[in-house]
Amino acid sequence: MRVANPVADMQYNIQQSEQSLSTALQQVSTSKRVNQISDDPVASANMVRSLADSACVDSYTSNNNQTLARLQSADSALSSVVTALNQAITLGTQGADSTLSDSDRQGIAEQVQGILSSVVAQANSKYQGNYVFAGSATGTMPFTADASSPTGYVYNGNSTVNLVQVGASTSVASNVAGDTVFTAGADVIGSLTNLVTALQSGSVTDIGTAATAISTALNYVGQQRVSIDSSISELNSQDTYLSQESVTLSSQQTALVGVDLATAATNLSQAETTHSAVLAAAAKVLPVTLLDYLK
Amino acid sequence: MSLNASLSIAVQSLLADSGALQATNNNIANANTVGYTRETVVLQESDPSMQGDLSVGQGVVLQGFQSVRSEVLQRQIEVQTQQQSAADAQVSSLSEIEPVFTTSTQDIGTQMSALFTSISSLSTDPTSSSLRQGVISAGQNLVTAFHSASSALTAQQTGLNTQVTQDVSQINQLAQQIAALNPQLAAMKQSGQDGGTLQDKQDQLVLSLSKLTSVSITQTDTGETISTGNGTPLVVGANSYALQTSMGTNGMQDVKDSAGTDITSTLSGGDLGGTIQTRDQAIAGLQSQLDTLASQFGAAFNAAQAQGYTQSGSAGGDFFTLPSGVAGAANSIALASTDPASIAASSDGSAGSDGNLSNLSAVQSTALPSGQTPTDTYAGLVYQVGSLTANATAESTATAASLLQLNDQLSSLSGVSIDEESTNLIRYQQAYEAAARVVSTISSMFDVAMSMGTNAAS
Repeated sequence: MRVANPVADMQYNIQQSEQSLSTALQQVSTSKRVNQISDDPVASANMVRSLADSACVDSYTSNNNQTLARLQSADSALSSVVTALNQAITLGTQGADSTLSDSDRQGIAEQVQGILSSVVAQANSKYQGNYVFAGSATGTMPFTADASSPTGYVYNGNSTVNLVQVGASTSVASNVAGDTVFTAGADVIGSLTNLVTALQSGSVTDIGTAATAISTALNYVGQQRVSIDSSISELNSQDTYLSQESVTLSSQQTALVGVDLATAATNLSQAETTHSAVLAAAAKVLPVTLLDYLK
Repeated sequence: MSLNASLSIAVQSLLADSGALQATNNNIANANTVGYTRETVVLQESDPSMQGDLSVGQGVVLQGFQSVRSEVLQRQIEVQTQQQSAADAQVSSLSEIEPVFTTSTQDIGTQMSALFTSISSLSTDPTSSSLRQGVISAGQNLVTAFHSASSALTAQQTGLNTQVTQDVSQINQLAQQIAALNPQLAAMKQSGQDGGTLQDKQDQLVLSLSKLTSVSITQTDTGETISTGNGTPLVVGANSYALQTSMGTNGMQDVKDSAGTDITSTLSGGDLGGTIQTRDQAIAGLQSQLDTLASQFGAAFNAAQAQGYTQSGSAGGDFFTLPSGVAGAANSIALASTDPASIAASSDGSAGSDGNLSNLSAVQSTALPSGQTPTDTYAGLVYQVGSLTANATAESTATAASLLQLNDQLSSLSGVSIDEESTNLIRYQQAYEAAARVVSTISSMFDVAMSMGTNAAS
């Protein structure tokens, strides 16, 4: 074949090797194989899905932590209530002793009254400005004194339980309705009020009955705590799962668009070698013409 | 044979050699001229004369110059050129769209995720005004992302409109220039002459035309007849027919032939074909999918919103304002209310309920009427943008390689080789020197003949 002018071929070759050099350089400097969508459209589309999954996992994680803190505060409030009820039972047993004088019972009644107030305070406890035991009516104080009520207190909240999503198909209750814990199964506040009334009246029988009612309430609150505790342990294991998921997703993303640095570095030095070879060849061939030898 | 006859042979060969030197000289001069086809000198033996039984050679005749060209290769190069410029036109405009769909802090996918993240966070504390404000801001950001993607596509189409107008006016200019050369070339051909540099000039013009659109070429007695790929005539003999552009009802520049018939959709190849293809198919397709996504996503979100109650306990209203039709939805989608309380988080009307947030979150994982979840729909859009660009780039690279090969072939045939011309230069110079020596030899022979009598007398 007659070769008229090698310049065009040389220019094309130099351009090609410059292109692969710049691609290799870009991959090393960004640590990414896919720098624009067209580098790998399939990986880019999968990346969109993977990033959306990551955003979900991140929000599940943050929900998980929020809910965990909220349930722990509910749990600690209930733990105080349990302690208070145990004290009330002890006091009720003391008060049921027929040898006590009325003034002694009066003193005990005042102590039980104090316990009642502390239980009500726990039932009205707040987490981050919201009432914990008010159902979804988190802005309303759930238990307020009301003389017309037989127990002396009314529940102002509702029975709605909010669910928070902490996984693709996992939701946990983020609040506890006050009526469920304190009035539905056994009336905690009512039993304490009854004990105070019984102590004040001095009837040993009534005191005994009231103290028994408090034991029932204690058992009931204990059961409610178990369900909160199981939610807490579920959240803890969900937290572990979510952090694993987050690691899986980020390694998936690296695999999709990232580049192995060792490979990239090897590619770069290969591209460098090729490029200098092409340039050296051009430098050898281009300046030589017959005219050099005709002088 | 007379000395006079020998002298005239020597003169012919001087003429022939200086003609050959001229061709070589012109070849060297145009060694780097784009589109130049090397010329060779056509030499022929003169008819011999009969002297008795002897046939005696009568020297050489310079017949003319012949360009070494291949019309087949030239046509192939034209076809590849129009394919490459079509691919390049697509690459350049699509690669400008790519960044809009690349994952960043502002792309639609990221903002969509951010909206659902903010809704999910709100479920931990439905009364928190800062979390509610977060949902509103995320909604606003998503709206902005839709707007900027949509306007980037529109801006690209507007740019391509200008390109269409420019391409058409260039096509018209080239057609005029080609038509002007036709009569001269036809006359030269009729007289049996080679088109030479005029043909080179016309080939270059046709190649430039191929960069703009695909053309078909027929050789006729009146020169080259050129029409667009779909058969609209551009050049017939000495006449050229101008294409026109006019603004269509859809805001796009339409291309019309000289009779006023709309030929926009039939044009293919070249920068004009690539531009129209990108403008009317690739980008228009992406735009309508984007509109569908915005419209269906907005409607699904509004429907979820309608199932709940706002913070103040009233029934949930629209979150997004959408146009009545799908077209233009991505550009005109907006937030219906910027009041954080308007988010219908509650399922029972109480301010602290988060029951309806699960309905709002479910929009993310529920298929839209188009058949896929919003995230998957968007991922599909990203894939399309990427593969359109990647395909066009691959085509451009492939045609560049085959074009290089064709040009190599053409240059192998028609290109000027300096080494070859240098040897020719020496060859013709030596022949010229030899012919000149013949002249001086004959001259001294004349002297000898003239002085024959003189010497005898003295």
